[in-house]
Amino acid sequence: MVRRILVIDDEAGFTKLLKMNLEKTGQYEVRIENDSMKALNAAHEFLPDAVLLDIVMPGLDGGDVAAQMQAEPLLQHIPVIMMTALVSQEETSQDAVAQAGAMNILPKPVNLDVLLRCLEEVLSQQ
Amino acid sequence: MLWVSESKFRFLLVKNDQSQQTGVTTPVKRGDDAEFGQHSREVAYLEAVIDNLPVGLFAKDAADDYRFVLWNKKQEEITSIPRDQALGKNDTELFSPDSATYFRKVDELVLARKRKFEVSEEIVDTPESGEVWLHTIKVPIEDVEGQRTLIVGISEDITEQVHAREQLAALNDNLTEANQELQTTQLQLIQAEKMESVGRLAAGVAHEVKNPLALLLLGVEYLSGGIDPSDPNVEEILTEMREAVDRADKIIRGLVDFSSQRQLAMVPTQLSELVERSLLLVRHELKKDNVEVEKRFAEGLPDLKLDSAKFEQVLVNLLINAIHAMEDTLKPKLEIILASSKLQGLERDQGLRTADHLRNGDEVILLTIKDNGGGISTENLQKVFDPFFTTKATGVGTGLGLSVVRKIVELHNGAIEVENRLLGGVQITITLKVPKSESEQVDTKEGMQAQSSQVLLNKIKE
Repeated sequence: MVRRILVIDDEAGFTKLLKMNLEKTGQYEVRIENDSMKALNAAHEFLPDAVLLDIVMPGLDGGDVAAQMQAEPLLQHIPVIMMTALVSQEETSQDAVAQAGAMNILPKPVNLDVLLRCLEEVLSQQ
Repeated sequence: MLWVSESKFRFLLVKNDQSQQTGVTTPVKRGDDAEFGQHSREVAYLEAVIDNLPVGLFAKDAADDYRFVLWNKKQEEITSIPRDQALGKNDTELFSPDSATYFRKVDELVLARKRKFEVSEEIVDTPESGEVWLHTIKVPIEDVEGQRTLIVGISEDITEQVHAREQLAALNDNLTEANQELQTTQLQLIQAEKMESVGRLAAGVAHEVKNPLALLLLGVEYLSGGIDPSDPNVEEILTEMREAVDRADKIIRGLVDFSSQRQLAMVPTQLSELVERSLLLVRHELKKDNVEVEKRFAEGLPDLKLDSAKFEQVLVNLLINAIHAMEDTLKPKLEIILASSKLQGLERDQGLRTADHLRNGDEVILLTIKDNGGGISTENLQKVFDPFFTTKATGVGTGLGLSVVRKIVELHNGAIEVENRLLGGVQITITLKVPKSESEQVDTKEGMQAQSSQVLLNKIKE
């Protein structure tokens, strides 16, 4: 069964390659949203099985997007994996992740194997 | 007592009077007593005049091995050699061998050229006063037959002036040294402040580098599964990877340039390029705080002579300040404007701190950075450039930022002005002079060469 993944990240090149990699496995269908302001709309339209969410974005940041999703009955059950290039402990602490309602956080550069395992894990818990 | 032999004195008077007809020219005892009485009074009078001259006066007979035939009172004072010891002797017998050789050379030159010779500064060793500096003029005086020549000299003691000048030069050296030390300290201060900025920027820069790295890793993952020649993604991935490497390289290079420590190195630079580079360094902060950046750069602006690393420090500092000032702004917006202008209505108290370097009519480039943050209170506006002034919490900033910014702008002979905008926020304007055109620079150089030729000529004359 092909799972639907929504990637919300303003880094266009990165999301493009992420999509290619995930779709190459044949297990995922990926939609990209580079504008975090449109993230909620995209989630409503696409109704993904999981969301990959960047933290530092112009407009709404990852925490804002996750909080908005939490507030939407239709979206609050969707697991969120956060990805970030932030380096400080403080910024990427699990507290911040919990606050944002995300289950996992992956540091950038993202190791594809780790990401795939993480996705399988959160999807299996559905 | 007569202090020159009569025949020598007569010889002097003959030449000076240019006439053999007058009685004055005949000092030898001859004719009636009345005539001689008149004559001796004149001699005595002349003798008094010569002795009371405020300059040393001497004469040497070139035909008699340059022995002294005249030596006035002032000359005694200057050289501390009494007249009775000097008369009938030459320089070799009176002065050190070096001085004597030098005096003889000048005398021979005067004799050969048959005209006045001026030595602005010469040094003579005297038995009592030690080294004495003299300003001396020597003239050749021939007798009517052109057989004998006297070298007559006037010497002025300029020892005090020379010493004063030397003291002044030493003071000047000390001042130059102190100034250099001050400049070194300033550069150290600038560097210290810069390293603090580097620390502040490091996390942001790391973030900016990690993003291209993340892309690269995904590219590697994709391609390592084996490359299918018919896969259209491959080319796209490679292009993205190349761009990611460029981007990471640019950011890291920017940080390295920014943190480098050098002396001031002014090179022709496009200010707009520096602004772009600085924006890249603070890109993370801009993105994090969702700051809109509006750039309005006039086209075809001339290069400015800038130290790019130091000036980038100015820009990064101002940009970070502006971003921090807009933390509570709903829609933070930064406007950066580059325009050329002719300086007008310049007043010293308008905040142009280095007005000495900028003049009305100068062609300048104006860099304006506007934010729409909370602005600065009137009270604090006076203090923003003071060292250690900060509105940030203890430990957040050193308070050196803007004072160092101003120092760097001043090192570029520019001016910086901070003011509140009417509708909120702060406007910072940096005024930088456009260097004069190549041709004008050449003119100046030629002017300087002409000036140094004049100096050289003076030296030769001396």
